[in-house]
Amino acid sequence: MPADTNFHLGLDLEIPFTGGGLRVELNTASTRIAVVGPSGSGKSTILRILAGVERRAYGTVLVKEHCWQDSSNGTWVPSWDRRVGWVPQETLLFPHLTVRENLSYGGALPDWVSETAALLQIGDLLDRRSRRLSGGERQRVALGRALLSKPRLLLLDEPFSALDRPLRGELSELVSDWALDRSVPIVLVSHDEEDAKWLAEERWHVGGGSLRKE
Amino acid sequence: MFHKAKTSTRWVQPRALSLRELRRKSILAAVWSAVLLAPMQLSGASLTGGSRTTEQASDSVLLVLAAASLADVLPRIGDEWERLGGTPLVFSFDATSRLAVQASQSGAGDIFFSADPQWIRWLDEQGTVSLGSAVHFAANELVIAVSQDISVPVEPDMLLGFERIALAGENVPAGKYARTALEKAGVWSEIEKDVVRGGSVRGALEWVARGEVPAGIVYRTDAEAEPSVSIAFVFEGPEYPQAQYWGVPLGSTAHEESAADFVNFVLGDAGQPFLREAGFSPPQSFVADGEAQGQAAGDTGDDLVASVSSAVRLSLIVAFLATLVGLVPAVGLGWVLARRDFRGKTVLSTIVTAPLVIPPVVTGFLLLSVLGASTPLGGLIASLGFPVPFTILGASIAALVVGLPLYVISVRGAFEAVDPMYEELSWTLGCSPWKTFFRVSLPLALPGIAAGAVLAFARSLGEFGATVVLAGNVEGSTRTIALAVYTLLESPTGRETVWVLVGASVIISLIALLGFEVLSRRQKRRLEDRHAR
Repeated sequence: MPADTNFHLGLDLEIPFTGGGLRVELNTASTRIAVVGPSGSGKSTILRILAGVERRAYGTVLVKEHCWQDSSNGTWVPSWDRRVGWVPQETLLFPHLTVRENLSYGGALPDWVSETAALLQIGDLLDRRSRRLSGGERQRVALGRALLSKPRLLLLDEPFSALDRPLRGELSELVSDWALDRSVPIVLVSHDEEDAKWLAEERWHVGGGSLRKE
Repeated sequence: MFHKAKTSTRWVQPRALSLRELRRKSILAAVWSAVLLAPMQLSGASLTGGSRTTEQASDSVLLVLAAASLADVLPRIGDEWERLGGTPLVFSFDATSRLAVQASQSGAGDIFFSADPQWIRWLDEQGTVSLGSAVHFAANELVIAVSQDISVPVEPDMLLGFERIALAGENVPAGKYARTALEKAGVWSEIEKDVVRGGSVRGALEWVARGEVPAGIVYRTDAEAEPSVSIAFVFEGPEYPQAQYWGVPLGSTAHEESAADFVNFVLGDAGQPFLREAGFSPPQSFVADGEAQGQAAGDTGDDLVASVSSAVRLSLIVAFLATLVGLVPAVGLGWVLARRDFRGKTVLSTIVTAPLVIPPVVTGFLLLSVLGASTPLGGLIASLGFPVPFTILGASIAALVVGLPLYVISVRGAFEAVDPMYEELSWTLGCSPWKTFFRVSLPLALPGIAAGAVLAFARSLGEFGATVVLAGNVEGSTRTIALAVYTLLESPTGRETVWVLVGASVIISLIALLGFEVLSRRQKRRLEDRHAR
């Protein structure tokens, strides 16, 4: 299946609350965007704004033909209607649920859960409590949970930081293929240029209070 | 008992907190007046009283323990006594029964003014006073006081038609005399079930004045001083008991001479006009009907097991009800305070937690002002078949309101401990905030919520002040462990039973607190995931 040629992401945002403030002007038709920059520069905030869990930024967010946020007229599409697969850096798993329950939280059917778990090499962890997992296992569960929620846009925040090199490459490829198959655009945030290389075709740099394309 | 501090000295005049006026204003006005007036009254008191207390060393002051019904007249006689150069006096007013127990156990005080000779005899047996030096100086008749909207006179047999009749506590002299009077009138056995007990005679009168109870048996002097009630019948004549007021220097006094002098001052030409003016009768020439009174006092010893188990059962029911009914508001308020930012949040938080610091008696009074049968809201609830005052419902509401702050604080803490990102994640996975609440927030905070419930339960068990004001002290429907202990402390025969109840109370409370600790730990463990990363 070819990549979604109609995709367009337009951000025009004023983010005053990250250290020193951040001005974001981003217009692209690319479906593989990486935002790189030092920690604390506000990269994660951009993902939070896209996920709809951060409402304090001022400006507009356009995704394809949809307007998710327009502060000038009060437009706001809530998180639960955006269908984004958000994997925050903290890789929080619901601690009161098993791995299987975490994976199916977004409404995925059991077969599909098992299938995806096998792909991510966490098939034998399904009945464990999340607190008994290693950092790498947790990242894969969090990633699987996002993939299984049928997202229209994947938001990945340092998704492979706890994985060792070979697995990192393997998983990057897997996610990449998965997204390509389903025409799901990816916005990746990382401080690691390597990660960005694997997944992205367009890289944006945060620094000095603004965002520029490389 | 709620319209007067439990013990009041002459420096802080009991009339100062004029609750009768407050009652007619809105709750808000009442709160404001209380807030604004209290410091003024205190500073006023220190202006007049402070200089006196500092000038005179404490060892040349007489501490007078006096029956609550003397609270208006005795300070006036005291002023006259001091004007004529007598030793300065400090008063502590309360129910005679409680004062007698205090005097015998504390070994403090100089003079005791009792509304009942039985307690003088009891103190004589304890070796606290000498019967020979006791003086009978006044008497007080009992009356039927009714709310102003009831037409007078009301003969004793007409009391059968009333829904409720307010009496002072069964060990308080006024309560015992009232029972004897009703027995002599031949109606006691029929109306006993309708009797509600206020702690003191003033407490019973306050209910009548507020219209919560249509009629009460109180002292003539108290009824005359209360403009909101009418005197419907006077129990006159030798067949009816009268309260006999006796004064006696306490054995603990270091000022025997001036103590005896003041007792005689009250008895003599100087004191009697004040007493007459206040509605007291001259001392009686005949001896009190000791038999009837002794019988009434002996009743507390009966059916100990029944009354203990009734109190324990009632405490548990009330605490369970309060905890159960409080669950939804506590969870709702706890969540809103933990997760939402809005204008007025501080105000809401303050109001919810206020009962933690407001004296429970005051909380009870405010509740009575809102939920009493004569108020619009209370009337509406009563018309639906759920009257609040003097019912188990009232006791539960009092327990709920006083326990709610701890409940809400615990629940709020539990929600605050849950990383908001769990909820945000749930939203992005397609769950609305409502769904997220039930799938994520609530399960994660559950042990903390349970801990809050246990804490509220424990607090409800110990509730006293608000309950006694809103729901009274009615055996079988509002006399919980705390109220039962208080009642038994008024009686010289109740001491052993008290220990059973005290034991039950301490054990239940400790078990509840243990549960709280266990659940708090579990809450911590439930969220351990965050530390694993």
